[in-house]
Amino acid sequence: MTVLELRDVVKEYPGSPPIRALEGVSISVARSELVGIVGASGSGKSTMMNIIGTLARPTSGTVWLEGRDVSTRRDQTLAGLRAARIGFVFQQFHLVPGLSATDNVATGLVYRRIGRAKRRQAAEVALRQVGLGHRLDHRPRQLSGGERQRVAIARALVGEPALILADEPTGNLDSKTGEGIIQLILDLNRQGRTILIITHDQGIAARLHRRIELVDGRVVADVRNGEAA
Amino acid sequence: MMEATARSRIRPLDLLRSGGQGLSTRPGRTMLTALGIAIGIAAMIGVLGISASSKAALLRQIDDLGTNLLAVQAGQSVFGEQAKLPEAAPAMVRRIPPVEQAAALTSVSASVRRTNYIPESETNGITVYAAEVETADTLQAKLAQGRFLDTATVRTPAIVLGAVSAERLGITSISEGPMVYLNGHWFNVIGILDPLPLNPDLDRAAFIGYPTAAKLFDTKPNASTIYLRTHPDQVEGVRALLGRTANPENPNEVQVSRPSDALEAKATVDQNLTRLLLGLGAVALVVGGVGIANVMVISVLERRSEIGLRRALGAKRMHIAGQFVTESVLLSLIGGVGGAVLGATVTQVYASRQGWVVDIPVAALAAGVAVALAVGALAGLYPAIRAARMDPAEAVHPTG
Repeated sequence: MTVLELRDVVKEYPGSPPIRALEGVSISVARSELVGIVGASGSGKSTMMNIIGTLARPTSGTVWLEGRDVSTRRDQTLAGLRAARIGFVFQQFHLVPGLSATDNVATGLVYRRIGRAKRRQAAEVALRQVGLGHRLDHRPRQLSGGERQRVAIARALVGEPALILADEPTGNLDSKTGEGIIQLILDLNRQGRTILIITHDQGIAARLHRRIELVDGRVVADVRNGEAA
Repeated sequence: MMEATARSRIRPLDLLRSGGQGLSTRPGRTMLTALGIAIGIAAMIGVLGISASSKAALLRQIDDLGTNLLAVQAGQSVFGEQAKLPEAAPAMVRRIPPVEQAAALTSVSASVRRTNYIPESETNGITVYAAEVETADTLQAKLAQGRFLDTATVRTPAIVLGAVSAERLGITSISEGPMVYLNGHWFNVIGILDPLPLNPDLDRAAFIGYPTAAKLFDTKPNASTIYLRTHPDQVEGVRALLGRTANPENPNEVQVSRPSDALEAKATVDQNLTRLLLGLGAVALVVGGVGIANVMVISVLERRSEIGLRRALGAKRMHIAGQFVTESVLLSLIGGVGGAVLGATVTQVYASRQGWVVDIPVAALAAGVAVALAVGALAGLYPAIRAARMDPAEAVHPTG
């Protein structure tokens, strides 16, 4: 079953001459896949993440999420879609400093009109899943970098999205801590979650099921690693 | 499959929380910004409260003094000369049925001095009146010391001083039997009056008896002023009759006044000042509002990544705008409530120091908070729109 499909996606940023970040990208991601999108900086991978995450619209081409064309939807429809179907993990964690781990994770459900008690319940479950059952009431500042990223991953998980987008999830972590995060992502995938990782790290990409390589806005390789995971 | 009804929605309580979060993260900034609004609101409520208390005090004073005191003055003739009331005027006035008390005063051409060594031209601004014995009762004058003139002392060189007169002459006590000098004659000071709020001009007067004035200074019995108390419900009726009664030949020359009107006019004059001060308070409020807008704009810029995150978590533009407007309104609510408390406190302290009844209009408190909220909503609008328009893709990647 296809979760995500891009066909001939082009993204141009205005300027003279206009900058073409993506030059006709077509990919398809099935449920329960773990895909790495790899590329050097400037290769268009951030743009691709924005378009897949419906934070930006393609200049031309089509994006389907769970069979729905999302490339031309209204902003509020896309917001609803992000709230329910997409989970984001960022390089900079983006945690709210004043909130506990539980409340940070619970914000993942705020825009789905779910009450606070229920949100926190779900948040605790998600935090246990990422191995932070003992850190529920800690503030981000009391957590290590790896723990912070686990909180962010729990926040992406908590809404049971169809797709998790992780943008350089180990980019701000040392290699040992980063390894822990990669292990967590592999675990989550094993449980059946569809995950897309955007990274410039070929080493990480090599350990995923599938590696899509971008160069100058074009897909130059789309390889399945049979023996991965 | 994707739910067909996946919509982005937020509970109002969560919107409120999202607005409060930004404030509690930066308590110092929140307090300073709220202070701007608080000062404006406090100024407005203080002005309203103090003016209301002052007015209440004034009206109470007027009530205490009575609004049924009228003054009849000789006025001026058609040729512009000082007119005279007929000799019979006091008696005629007393004959009007609702008139309860009346007393005539006639100015005496004499000056009051402490001793005969002081030149006659130094009058100290004190006017000497020949006064009837009813004067103190009619004016409801209280004596700080001694007695007023009575039927015996009107025939002797006895004098009663107004409060200011006594002060100017340096007479603080009558126990030593002080004397004053009036154009060649020594008078015993037999009494000193308390200040007369309704007739402050009489505080600078000195009163002697009619027989004494006629004998020593050749004062004519024609009254310059007749003070009278009427039945409280008949004031206007009596007022209309006074001209013809006091001076039947030239009723137009007679001037009738109501001393309490002057105090009531004072209450009205205060309203103009109140309006001016309210205007200043409003300016302070606008400045406070601009302060909020400023801080909110900065806050929006600083919190780009939070805005990006919220958009990624599924917030609509409206939710982001709502969050920042809520924050701004909460900020001004803190300021408004703080200002209301401050304004009420200032009024309380000021009014009780003045010995007034404290009168803080509840409507003004409510209006103050409401105005603060409106200012907050208005000030938050522009920053909120900026936040809502932020490109989510750029906002989640602060480095581009």
